[in-house]
Amino acid sequence: MADRKVLVVDDEIHIVHVVAIKLRNNGFEVIAADNGAEGLKLALAERPDIIVTDYQMPVMTGIELVEQLRQNEDTKDTPVIMLTARSFAIPQQQQDDLRISGCLSKPFSPKELLGNIEDILYQKQLIAGK
Amino acid sequence: MKLGRSSYAVVAPIVAYGLLIAALAEGRNSGTEEGLYFAGPVQRASVALGCGVLVAMGVILLGWYGFRLAGAIASIARLFEDCRGRDGGDSSGTFSLLKVTEIDKLCTLVGEHLDVCAKRAAEDKKQIQDLRIHVQLSQKREKNTEAIIYSIRDAVIVSDEYDKLLMANEAAGRLFNFDFKNSQRRPLSELIGRDRSEFADFLSHSRQSRNQATRREIEFSEQGERKTFDCIVSCVYDQDQQVCGGVAVLHDVTREKQIQQMKNDFVSHVSHELKTPLASITAYSEMLADGEANDERTRREFYSIIQNQAQRLNRLIEDILNTSRIESGLIKVNKELVSLTMLIEEQLQMMRSYAEEKNIKLIGQTPIVFDRVYVDRDMMSQVIVNLLSNGVKYTPSGGSVKIETAVDEAASLVRVTVTDTGVGIPEDEMGRIFEKFYRVGANKKQAEGTGLGLNLVKQIVEKVHEGRVFFTSQVGAGSTFGFELPLATRESVEIA
Repeated sequence: MADRKVLVVDDEIHIVHVVAIKLRNNGFEVIAADNGAEGLKLALAERPDIIVTDYQMPVMTGIELVEQLRQNEDTKDTPVIMLTARSFAIPQQQQDDLRISGCLSKPFSPKELLGNIEDILYQKQLIAGK
Repeated sequence: MKLGRSSYAVVAPIVAYGLLIAALAEGRNSGTEEGLYFAGPVQRASVALGCGVLVAMGVILLGWYGFRLAGAIASIARLFEDCRGRDGGDSSGTFSLLKVTEIDKLCTLVGEHLDVCAKRAAEDKKQIQDLRIHVQLSQKREKNTEAIIYSIRDAVIVSDEYDKLLMANEAAGRLFNFDFKNSQRRPLSELIGRDRSEFADFLSHSRQSRNQATRREIEFSEQGERKTFDCIVSCVYDQDQQVCGGVAVLHDVTREKQIQQMKNDFVSHVSHELKTPLASITAYSEMLADGEANDERTRREFYSIIQNQAQRLNRLIEDILNTSRIESGLIKVNKELVSLTMLIEEQLQMMRSYAEEKNIKLIGQTPIVFDRVYVDRDMMSQVIVNLLSNGVKYTPSGGSVKIETAVDEAASLVRVTVTDTGVGIPEDEMGRIFEKFYRVGANKKQAEGTGLGLNLVKQIVEKVHEGRVFFTSQVGAGSTFGFELPLATRESVEIA
């Protein structure tokens, strides 16, 4: 369980805080950043198993972060869950192109987020086992 | 002229004999039995004689008529001579009966002809008058049409069936950079630059499609600025309902598009701004309900976060509602005497946790003895909160936001300033900083926002309290936003 590392990227400190508590309570190691650029640095340095990122952030948006991640050999396959407060959904084509594993609309349930993370990591484990 | 009776007596038997001989000859030539029976030497001599008589009679008759015609002409000549003589005072002349009859007939004929000519002339004159009226009416109508087209602020272009320019107003000339007077009948494709060929193509295709009206939004670049035009092309039909041209009206919708874009951005921003505190409230409530807060300290922390986020949500909703209320003039203003120092202190307390979250130092002020103003407490609180939260929002971690109050007794006003060490505002965007929904482009990535905060500050200070807002800024160094309000008089304080 200790190898399940999650990177949480959000400019809203309360969201990072609550997600971190939820995940830590459920056995995850959590690292956090408050903008996309910082998140990219941490992702490359820490190689998390999964990344949870906000869609709209200062300095670098969530989409820009994923685009950067996909260009790097070390992070090109890292699963990403996008949190968005926008009234519109991220187009499916864009999600497919960037291989975004899931989108959760704000306000979201920490319980639901945890369930999504568990599912994605389980699938990833199954694929790796093959 | 008539032949006399004696003439008939001579001429008639000769003509009858000639005709008989001619008939016999014809009968022989046609091959009938009778013709053949009489076709002997005697008959051939008779035919030759008859023909000779006929020729002789013809000559006599021509001579006769020539003689009579010469007589008539001489009579007319004499008549004119006589007329001239009478005009000269000689009244002794008389005319023969023959002359009078002929001249009368001639005069009758000439008179009738003259009547016909006069009638035709009168009809032609009337037709010419009608045509002149029609031409004048057409010219007037044309001038009226031109005046109407020229007075339209939208660009109007009329083309013929060969896509050549028929008419254009000044707005069209300015838009496409041509002079109409020197451009008539020139192909539109030549007049309109290549960068705007989309319009010429659209006009041509719309005309060819024969649709009554076609609409499209077209973008042009004008002096480096991208402009959008709502272009409507209508076909012009002739009397046979055939398309003989097209009329294009181009309405500049650049501003409307900008406002629409700003509204869309606003809805998007408001949605984000509302959902962000709501997301925190929802998530922390769920954590508390699920027993994820393990100790009392954590639970208290969660309660505090929920409370702060609820207040943030409330402020945002108030901003939106107040902007709308002030603009519509429906807001209820409850003015009372308020100490600005006290009001600022209350708002500072509310903002401290937000500033601490971002690691920004919030610096208050020293109390001032007399700083009473006659204001709506809630609205003025919102002004202070908006200025403070803007300062915190656009200041990087480790910076500071300072609020100060100064009284100018000579001018009888109080001045409040909020100075931050934030990102600053570029000079070219300073003119629009108080516009509703406007957000500084360079700072959009720095923080979220609706673009309502500063607009509301201006509305409350200037429109509701007759004060003044001001600001100074330098990119990378920070900004100072402030406002001035009339100081309450000591008399009004005593009355209160």
